[in-house]
This record gives sequence, C-alpha cells and structure tokens, in this order.
Amino acid sequence: MITVKELEHLAVLARIDLSEDDKKSLVKEFDSILGYVDQLKKVDVKMDAEGRVGAVRNVMRPDIASPVSVEDREALLAEAPDREKDFIAVKKIIAQD
Amino acid sequence: MNMKIDLANLTIAKAHEHLKKGDFTAVDLTKAYLDEIKKKNAEINAYREVFADALDQAKAADDKIKAALKSGGKSADFSVLLGIPCAVKDNFLIKGRITSSASKILENYHATYDATAIAKLKEAGVVFLGRTNMDEFAMGASTENSAYGVTRNPHDTSRVPGGSSGGSAAAVAMDGALFAMGSDTGGSIRQPASFCGVVGLKPTYGTISRYGLTAMASSLDHVGHICRTVSDSEIVLAALRGQDPKDGTTISDRTYEKKRVGAKKLVIGVPKHFLTGEGVDPATMKAFDASIEAFKSKGYEIKDIKLPNISYSIAAYYIIVPAEVSANMARFDGMRYGLHVDGKDGIEDYFKTRRAGLGKEVIRRILLGTYVLSSGYYDAYYNRANAVRAMITEDFLKAFESVDLIAIPTTPGPAFKIGEKTNDPVAMYLEDIFTSPADLTGLPAISVPCGTAEKEGKKLPLGLQLIARHGDEAALFEAGKSFLGEE
Repeated sequence: MITVKELEHLAVLARIDLSEDDKKSLVKEFDSILGYVDQLKKVDVKMDAEGRVGAVRNVMRPDIASPVSVEDREALLAEAPDREKDFIAVKKIIAQD
Repeated sequence: MNMKIDLANLTIAKAHEHLKKGDFTAVDLTKAYLDEIKKKNAEINAYREVFADALDQAKAADDKIKAALKSGGKSADFSVLLGIPCAVKDNFLIKGRITSSASKILENYHATYDATAIAKLKEAGVVFLGRTNMDEFAMGASTENSAYGVTRNPHDTSRVPGGSSGGSAAAVAMDGALFAMGSDTGGSIRQPASFCGVVGLKPTYGTISRYGLTAMASSLDHVGHICRTVSDSEIVLAALRGQDPKDGTTISDRTYEKKRVGAKKLVIGVPKHFLTGEGVDPATMKAFDASIEAFKSKGYEIKDIKLPNISYSIAAYYIIVPAEVSANMARFDGMRYGLHVDGKDGIEDYFKTRRAGLGKEVIRRILLGTYVLSSGYYDAYYNRANAVRAMITEDFLKAFESVDLIAIPTTPGPAFKIGEKTNDPVAMYLEDIFTSPADLTGLPAISVPCGTAEKEGKKLPLGLQLIARHGDEAALFEAGKSFLGEE
C-alpha cells in the first residue's frame, strides 16, 4: 500500500534518517497498520462532526510576558547541547558567498 | 521502630494512622520500601532510578509530623499523604532530577521545573522513592519499548507488566511503593494495573493537570495513579485534582453536571455485543461474568447496553494518536535540550539526532502520523477518525442516559509473555481494545482486580474496568469499594 519512495518522503518531512533495513520493515508494518485502520472506511460517518474530548471551551489568559528568574534561565541554558553566553548556539543556516 | 511494617497489607489510610500514633516513622516506612526495592528491583526492573535523597525527604516529613503532633488539637491533623512513599513514572518533571521518558534522546535531561502533579505531591509531603520504567514516551502496552530494558511482571517474571506505566504498576505490586504516578493515553495506567493485580485510575480528561508531563498525544493524555486499594486511589485523586492556569484543558468541579439514574444503587451497563470478539481469553470472560454476578448480589441493577461504534476505537485511536505524536515529537531537534548528534549542517543534525535518539515504535508513530496528516490522506484518515471518535463519544453519552456505570474487562487476557507481541504492532495495539474508548471520550475509568487466570501453573491477575460519566469519579469509587469489600 505504501511504497519505499513514499516512506522516504515521509522520513524527510519528519527529519529522520532511515536505514535500508528500517525501510523494509516499516513498509511491512505500515501495510498491516493501514490495513487495520482501513475498516473506518466502512463507517457511515457524519464528516462535519468534530472529534472532541469532553467539554470544549475557550480558556483565556492575559497577554503579558512572565519574567523568568536568572536561575531558571541558567537551568534552561544548561540543558542546551551548545551555548554561547546566554544564547543557545546552533549552526549557520544561511551560507555566505 | 515500635512495630514491624506489614507492607503486603498496608494502605495509605493505614500508614497515616500508624504515623499519627507513632507506631513507625516516615523514615522507617521509607527504609522498609527501599529494602524491598533492593531485594527485588534487580530482577523486576520497575525502577530506573532510586532517589539517593529518599531518606532525607522522609526525615523532613518526620519533622513536619512531629511539629503537627506537638501542636496538639485540630492542628495535630496532618496531610494524609505526608511521609507516604511513592514512585513516579519517568515522564513527570521533578525539578533538578532526570526525566528521560525511557528515551535515549532525553537520557541526561534534567527537569527545569516541577510538573503540577509533582508540586501538589511535594506540598502534601510525599516521599519520592524514584522514577519508574515505561515504554519510550509512553508508546506501548508492555514496557518492552523502554530504551533501558524490559520490566518484569512480579506475578510471573517471564511475562510483561503491561504498559506503558509498567514500572509504576510493578513497583506497587512488588511492595516497592505505596502508590505510583502514571499517565494513560490508550490504557497505560489501567492495563498494567490489571496485569499486576493493583488498582489503576484514569480520571476524566482535564481532572489532573498535565503541565510537566511529557506530551504524547495531547487530546488523549491523562495523568492518573496506581494504588493498592480504591480508597487509596480516592485519597490520591483528592490531592491531585483541580484547575491549573498552566494547563488550559483542566476542568473544575462544576464543568460537568452531576447526574444519576439509580435512585439508591448505581445502575451498571454491560455492552455484551462488544465482549464476544475472538481474542478474548475465556478466563477473562469467566472472571468478568462472576464480577457482574457479584454486583447483582450486592443489589446493583445490571442493564444490557449498546455502543454501536465502539469496535472502531482502536482504528480511530491509531490514526489520531500517531498524528498527535508526529506533532509533539517535532520538539526533539537536538538543539534546545536532550541528545545532539553532529552532522555536516543544521539540517543533518536533525536527521542524525532523531535517528539515534528515538526508538522503533516512536519512529513508526511519527512516520504514520506524518502520513495520515499529509495532503491527499488527511480527509481519508485523520478527519474520518475524528468523526468516528465523535460518534463513539455520542454512543457513550447516550448509554449514560440509562446507566451510571459501564463495566467491561480491562484487557482481553492476562499478562502475555515477554517478546510475544514485539514483532506485530497491530497485535500490540489490540491490547488497548477495552481501554482506549475511555481515552478517546475522556470518560473516567478505573481498573480493579477481579480474580486470576491460571497459565503454566502461575496465577495471573485480571482486571475489571468501570467507566463513568464525565466528572463522576465518585461513582467509580463507590462501586469499586463495594466490589473489593472496602469499608
């Protein structure tokens, strides 16, 4: 039902490297899972119905910034793989001419 | 210590009375649990980490108990959870401690704040013994998907404890904690509770804040707990429930209207048509039928009900959950926190980090979710699954016009063998056939022990599941206590 090419495209969208072995087993597993969930096609659904869990209502909060303590900021930065002073360091995304 | 602590028959309420009377201290109690863990955890692997400061926490609790008792009178009453040892699933953030969700990608991640549920337990004076093993990011029904080894069922170590909160259920079942925190997205509290012979509660969607719980599928994730008795479950829920400005999905006591159809006793509905499928163990049905008879003899009215679309639950679930997983897992980018694997550029960092840090089932669900949400398939899968979810919910709400509770087994059979279902995702997904409807609908549900199935000479626990109206955990507790003969 799903081709290796389609799977490779999904992996690019999801940013995951897949080995050839991964692809082989995933194609098989996709077939069995999609084969199972395909039973929903038999259901006479009211497509306008929204799946919702319990009582749905709006929850508002004031649009104000909440200050973060120096300790909390330090704790957050300490978890980053790489940092430069008070910034998280990442690789350059735009190449220079 | 003035008395020997009988862990096998201890409850939160009993422990509280003993602490009050000074029969033992919180330090004695914590030591007793740490001794059990030392004896059993090497084989069971319920705990990923036992906290080195557990006794310090217990000492602090003893100081508070002493101060409360000394003050005398009314203020001599202290929180029923003060000094009570508890285990925490590895997906709850406890400030300063590692929270890994049993994933390589968070192996060394230190939580920067307390989950709201954890903050409430701290406030109540609970002693945190350690963090428990689970399926990676709570994706699984056996705890075999942990990046840190399988947890074994204390009733038969060749079998799984269930999952994803398998470590929490095993910890309580092996007398390694008086209660344990868990999360339930498709059955992850109730199914392991059933497999391990303990009580598992998944309250109404929004009852307990999920702030600080690692997200899996946000429209289905619930915080709940595993205890030895229904009364204990009630005690823990009272401490955890409540609205939280940090989780907009939390509800108040007034969100749902209180309603009962049974004038004196609760009316229990049984959807017989849903229980006849193949794959349901005869021992499960035997125990279930006996449970219904027990309710009858206690004077409960039993009604046959119909839930026309319930058999589509797993199909809808395995579209909606991967879709939400693919969105929630996008946060693991190797840049802000967690594992980082270096590639030749920023984009390649993503690919390498996510491949190295995420396990098979997680990757499977991310890709499946990406697929069902992609253009061209969105209506056929995701929208259709949501519409079916709405129909399943309507069926339940209609049934609750004539009954107060719905009873079904928690699982199709007792605990299965380690490795039995690892190569067949659909077989593993079908483990949630009886538990996923309560997550899809947000209805509260509890699993209580209801007998055993004998397999290869071992007695394996079975669970009875009760489902109630939104907001009516009280009905679960009332019937659950009556069923187990508590009080």
